[in-house]
Amino acid sequence: MANNSTAEFQPRITLLYCRQSLAPEVKPVQGSRTGQGFSVRLVLLPCSSKVQLPHLMRLLEQGSDGLQIAACPEKACQHLVGSTRAEKRLNRGRELLEQVGMGAERLGLERGAGLSLEDLMQMAGRRADAARALGPNPMKGV
Amino acid sequence: MITAEWKPIEEMVGYLRGHKKVLVIGCATCVAECAAGGEREVETLAPLLAMAMQNDGNPVEVKSATLERQCEPEFVEAIAEAAAEADAIVSLACGIGMQLVAERFVDTPLYPGVNTTSLSLREEPGLWTSRCAACGDCVLGLTFGLCPVARCAKSLMNGPCGGTRTDGMCEINQDTPCIWRLIVERATARGRLEDLTQVRPPKNWSNSPAGGPKRMLREDLRS
Repeated sequence: MANNSTAEFQPRITLLYCRQSLAPEVKPVQGSRTGQGFSVRLVLLPCSSKVQLPHLMRLLEQGSDGLQIAACPEKACQHLVGSTRAEKRLNRGRELLEQVGMGAERLGLERGAGLSLEDLMQMAGRRADAARALGPNPMKGV
Repeated sequence: MITAEWKPIEEMVGYLRGHKKVLVIGCATCVAECAAGGEREVETLAPLLAMAMQNDGNPVEVKSATLERQCEPEFVEAIAEAAAEADAIVSLACGIGMQLVAERFVDTPLYPGVNTTSLSLREEPGLWTSRCAACGDCVLGLTFGLCPVARCAKSLMNGPCGGTRTDGMCEINQDTPCIWRLIVERATARGRLEDLTQVRPPKNWSNSPAGGPKRMLREDLRS
């Protein structure tokens, strides 16, 4: 799916992150940021389990090049199984994206605890790298 | 509940080539309970179809709606306006709901987004298993509340068949318990194993789906 514009392509990432995964001293942030070769929209969640497939698919339909979910470590979820549920939904979403030719790698999840804003930006950057390999979202501008 | 499963998206894409405005509709009852055709599934499939059609080179505008019940004419009216604007409908309801919508909006092609598969029970999250085959001559009273029609791979009226695995599972599917083993166990637990030795008249299969389309008429309910 990569195309000739890949070199100039600056992926637009949406990063959905669990409030509980942040370090206590880090103030939650939302909105747009610019990283090295990508832009990211940060979306704060009370728990990664709030992510549902319709949210993910709508974001991609609306032109996000990649979606990254930042979740707590499996055994550190405040809701016990929240991040596990998020991961299962994400895996189903990846299968569906593969079926429709969008590429599973547009969707990813990373776990972490005590995260800083810089950590979140690095997660977004890794998803941007994956999206860059796939090329721009074909839904962009539709 | 009536259970259904999504058709492969590739099959839906094949149906939709040549269409421009697609309405995806769900049903908030049975197919919502089995996570195939409720609002969540409709709102997942609608953007997926838009993406699939875009990648297929046949972009479509996809709208969505979920009806309270797709098998009741009063509820189907709720999508009359949206259906009039669409040139194709994809339904995630069971075959009953799909056909009612197809009858109501007869000029708009309707395509199935699911295969209707069974009358099942949700045993645990993410697992549904058959409980009824709508055979038209219920034998649960003779089989201690366990259905050999829906739950035996051979729909045997006298079992077990001899193919039961040593762990008590069915020879056809090792994830399915031999229902006749369970029937015998329940009969034994109630001290009524002898009941299973009684000779019974043949089951009336003429009232099963194999007997042709059903028509159930209740004069006392007709207007």
